[in-house]
Amino acid sequence: MKDYFMVVRLINERDRHLARQLVEDNGFIFEEDYDLLFGKFEDGELVATAARDHNVFKMICIRESHRGGACLGELITALIDSCTYTDIRNFFVFTTLENRGTFSHLNFTPLITHGKVCLLEYGHGLANYLQQHSALKRAGNNGAVVVNCNPFTLGHRYLIEEAAAQVDHLYVFVVREDRSLFPFDVRMALVREGTADLDNVLVLDTSDYAVSHVTFPGYFLKQDDDRLQLQMEIDLLLFARHIAPFFGITRRFIGTEPFCRTTRSYSDTMPHILGAAGIQTDQLERTSSNDDPISAFRVRKAFRNEDYEDLRKLVPATTLNFLHSTDGRKLLTTSKKYRRRH
Amino acid sequence: MEIVRKAQAGTMQSSDLMVFLEPAPQLRVEIDSTVKKQFEHLIRRQVETVLERFSITNGFIRVSDRGALDYAIAARLETGLFRACADQGELS
Repeated sequence: MKDYFMVVRLINERDRHLARQLVEDNGFIFEEDYDLLFGKFEDGELVATAARDHNVFKMICIRESHRGGACLGELITALIDSCTYTDIRNFFVFTTLENRGTFSHLNFTPLITHGKVCLLEYGHGLANYLQQHSALKRAGNNGAVVVNCNPFTLGHRYLIEEAAAQVDHLYVFVVREDRSLFPFDVRMALVREGTADLDNVLVLDTSDYAVSHVTFPGYFLKQDDDRLQLQMEIDLLLFARHIAPFFGITRRFIGTEPFCRTTRSYSDTMPHILGAAGIQTDQLERTSSNDDPISAFRVRKAFRNEDYEDLRKLVPATTLNFLHSTDGRKLLTTSKKYRRRH
Repeated sequence: MEIVRKAQAGTMQSSDLMVFLEPAPQLRVEIDSTVKKQFEHLIRRQVETVLERFSITNGFIRVSDRGALDYAIAARLETGLFRACADQGELS
């Protein structure tokens, strides 16, 4: 009987180098931004490799001589097993059109096919996510905003209030991804409090399906332009093909973006992708204070400098109360050491 | 027995399956299979038989099957249940 070789973690420089070679031999780029790297050796030779970057499986490469066998199943098992003790529930893979079927046979569901790229997820996370929010479905001409609200400012309030006045119901999708100074629970609570008086506003989270690590990693990490563009398009297609039809959303509202280049190109791409699906993009002029546009970035800066006079002009009372609270004071300490983009 | 924590069992190899369990207010079984069209009803029946045997009345159970035989389904699900339940119970 043939010896059985296991999939193992690749942790040393030599193994990483072998993985890089295998990936490059397959015509892919070895991406350094992964959490874990796996490989399978046979008689000292690396025959397969795969990596996990949070909830995205990538660089899945198998030496040609070992394809069509058990290798892929073993790699996927190792990748899924590595998530057992994490809070990751949905797994994603980007692949090419010709490999879509292979992943379908591993119970991956295709979410988006765009050009030659396919995004698939293991299981039915998106369907479950929509099902969980089916109680929020409303008839009518509905609009949506997707916001990070790090934290909720008077600018967000203005955008939501203006948008809500133009539609029957406005869905406010708060970005779930926890890579911002203000944790998701806080951001969500401040959005809820800050919009509680608006009757036709429904607040929900985006899960992994909008502006997330999967759909739009460029929002959180700097990346090259081509890849960024592709990811933005996939993010918008997910919204246009799956989220918007479910909630009856026909308009998406955004604010003008004077600061962040990435967000600006996202806004520029939006009308093209959403427009093709019959969803209108409405860009509203950002509101200002002392002639400067209000942004969450400006709020975080004022917060870091403990400039509560300025903060009073930038955030609603609900957010200001939080910033003064014990939890808010804790974040102040964090913010002084904070180096991330959001 | 009651599902009180997240657990999983099995592999994604051909002729095997993975079972994912987590606590939930109601009992819900989601089945994914490469042979779903032909055998979903049989996979579901096998899963339900095991759940009944262990008196499982709530939890979210996801099965990702790659053409496993009945006894493999039972074995993987039992293992998953022992991992997910507080009261480890007696092997029956």
